[in-house]
Amino acid sequence: MLPQLIANGLVMGCSYALVALGFALIYNTTRTFHFAHGGVYVLSAYLLYTFRNLWGIPLVPAAILTLLLIAFLGVAIDEVLYRPLVKRGSSQPIQMLSSLGLYIVIINLIAMFYGNETKMLSPGVQPTYTVGHIILARTQIVTAVTFVVLFVSLLFLLRKSRMGKTIRALRDDPELVSASGINARFFRWSVFALGSVLAGVAAILAGLDVGIDPNIGMTALLSGAVAVIIGGVGVFEGAALGGIALGLLQSLAIWQTSARWQDMVTFVVLIVFLLFRPQGLFGIRRRAEEMAG
Amino acid sequence: MNYLLHILVIICIYLVLGLSLNLIVGYTGLLSLSHAAFYGIGAYIGTLLMMNLGLGFLPSLALAVIGAMLLSLTISIPSLRLKGDYFMLATLGFQIIVFAVLYNWVGLTRGPFGIPGIPRPSLFGFQLRTVGHYLGFSVAVAAICLGLLFLITHSPFGRVLKAIREDEMAAAALGKDTPRLKVVAFSIAAGFAAVSGVLFATYMRYIDPTSFTLMESIFILSVIVIGGTGNVSGPIAGTILLIVLPEALRFLRIPDAIAANMRQVIYGLAIILIMRYRPQGLLGEYRFE
Amino acid sequence: MTVLELNNLSKSFGGVRAVDRVSMGFRKGRITGLIGPNGAGKTTVFNLISGFLKPDEGKISYQDQTITGILPWKVARMGIGRLFQDIHLFPHMRVVDNILAAFQKQTGENPLLALFVRPKVTAEEKNHRGQTQELLRFVGLSDKANELAENLSHGQQKLLSIARLLAAEADVLLMDEPTAGVSPQMVDKILDLIKRLAENGRTVVFIEHNMNVVIEIADWVYFMDNGQVASFGSPDDVLGDPEVRKAYIGV
Repeated sequence: MLPQLIANGLVMGCSYALVALGFALIYNTTRTFHFAHGGVYVLSAYLLYTFRNLWGIPLVPAAILTLLLIAFLGVAIDEVLYRPLVKRGSSQPIQMLSSLGLYIVIINLIAMFYGNETKMLSPGVQPTYTVGHIILARTQIVTAVTFVVLFVSLLFLLRKSRMGKTIRALRDDPELVSASGINARFFRWSVFALGSVLAGVAAILAGLDVGIDPNIGMTALLSGAVAVIIGGVGVFEGAALGGIALGLLQSLAIWQTSARWQDMVTFVVLIVFLLFRPQGLFGIRRRAEEMAG
Repeated sequence: MNYLLHILVIICIYLVLGLSLNLIVGYTGLLSLSHAAFYGIGAYIGTLLMMNLGLGFLPSLALAVIGAMLLSLTISIPSLRLKGDYFMLATLGFQIIVFAVLYNWVGLTRGPFGIPGIPRPSLFGFQLRTVGHYLGFSVAVAAICLGLLFLITHSPFGRVLKAIREDEMAAAALGKDTPRLKVVAFSIAAGFAAVSGVLFATYMRYIDPTSFTLMESIFILSVIVIGGTGNVSGPIAGTILLIVLPEALRFLRIPDAIAANMRQVIYGLAIILIMRYRPQGLLGEYRFE
Repeated sequence: MTVLELNNLSKSFGGVRAVDRVSMGFRKGRITGLIGPNGAGKTTVFNLISGFLKPDEGKISYQDQTITGILPWKVARMGIGRLFQDIHLFPHMRVVDNILAAFQKQTGENPLLALFVRPKVTAEEKNHRGQTQELLRFVGLSDKANELAENLSHGQQKLLSIARLLAAEADVLLMDEPTAGVSPQMVDKILDLIKRLAENGRTVVFIEHNMNVVIEIADWVYFMDNGQVASFGSPDDVLGDPEVRKAYIGV
């Protein structure tokens, strides 16, 4: 029982970690609390559903098409929603509320077109594999492998590429972008495209595993945001580890109580962290200094 | 006719919700997504006291308010030092926890089955029977709440909250105990939300957790963001607009199945446009700066 | 009488000692200037005194009480007021409300009392309004009382922030560049104001880059360099010190 729960928790954690990485990429570099990330997540799942289940496109091309569109959507959100606000120097609450507005629009449009009921992306029983006492569905294994591959590539990208250096520099000093001659616009595009694709991958995998409905985005977004806080804002590795920790914790909580309390576990953890370790597991404490400006 | 009276009762309930949330958002400058939680806490505490302990309306109302104010401390104190987005995330977490408790603690709340047969209040020997009676009662309660909130926001307390909203560091440098003031403002808002909750429960005579979801919190926030915050007229305008307008949509014969979603799309778009072109809302003062 | 005393105060940021074993004393009714190149640690000293930063080492005492590391609002309540270099007004509030918000121990700041002890609150409010008019006259902003603070000129905003500090009943005034970016007439006005405040028994500490201003009003000067007190004494002595001239003025 316990090994199975740990395995399930780890897989769930991989999915959270993908959303969290996408969220952190955008949040750390633009300081935008990207509520619409949840909308991007839901839309990815429904795009895949449309291409594959409604139009009959095979899974892999359908997924690639979905991710391309989602990358484009991420960029479009920045251009249409945030950029005009940033240019005018609008405050963080204004950006956050606009983002919340867009989230509401996206999920309700989806509900209008597709209905509120759960849709299965892969009907029928999935093949499963048994390792010792642990049984894993194929999608679970794919999720774990995808996460590892994407996480390692992302770390590599952050360490080695020019974009990665900029991202890390920006995380330390968000004012930098305008000062240093970086092509700010192109840079933001890359961040939003990449962040959205990470959410899209997570949505597709979770959708294939358990099905989709218009409300999966909020749960995913919140798990991602909480994972970022557990790991520590500004630390990309932290966001991934925070996601995995959260997945494990939720899985173990189900073991102790019941699945109905899963959401509650997420937020009890959040509040405990905010209270006792606001800098997260790996973050650096710099509250006093920030307050003094 | 009853339909019109019904709309007016709902407006009264949302006026109190909107104007109390305004104390946090428009005066103290904190975004909160937990107002539906306090609305629900008020509804459930009031209902359970009346139905399980047989308490009268007024004592139940008083205890619901006190309960909501005390429970608000469990979220406001941990989140005190948080700014902007973190604070909102914490309140959002609280909202989800409260919903999970209302939904899952079946032994106490009957969970998804809801609580039917809530008694209509009887005050000083007068039993409120018709919707008309109830409307009179709601108007009176809303008027008292709005009066109290008006006095609070126009007192030195309201002024110092505004100072915190404008520049918390400067307020602290002037000797203002900003953490305590924020906690107090938050609990007052929670208390008034609980009044709305008790009104709602005794009016509908049935409650279940789906009236107190995160989407409901987002709706209450939309009401005041669209109407405007930081004064009294903004939230009033927002409430009237966002309650009346969707009712008008009914006459456009949009199928019920998508009408609710369509309303939400309109709210979402309205928030985006307001934030872009008129951040102080229709009649508000505070521009989220 | 020394009102405020710093003893061996140190504060580091990420390995850099911004403030390094600083000891200073400020006497009642006297005007002390804090001078030194940018990054010498002057503003950090203010942040340590007013509680926005906690020192790594050292002690701050005020009227024989240790106030090291206590919260900013408590420091302010004890009578140590702070004028920020970037002013920090309440921009979307009226000029009068900026000052009214600053008075200490207002009964009406307790919402219950504001609702139910209205006569007392009203009386207090009337008294504060009177004092506000006086303060506005004192700083010469009477005709701007009902403007929003954000609509004042830079110099007027400085004057308003001084008036606000006085309403908060500060006995020690920590002023970070009170004359920076202000027109020459306004500089005279602010210096005159500072002198009158000291004559009324207030302790003034100010950070300043304009040496003429320092010579004109300071009774005592601390010269800081690299987080340390490099020299102190009367303005003439310190500004006459060749080391100071070399490090600071470049002559």
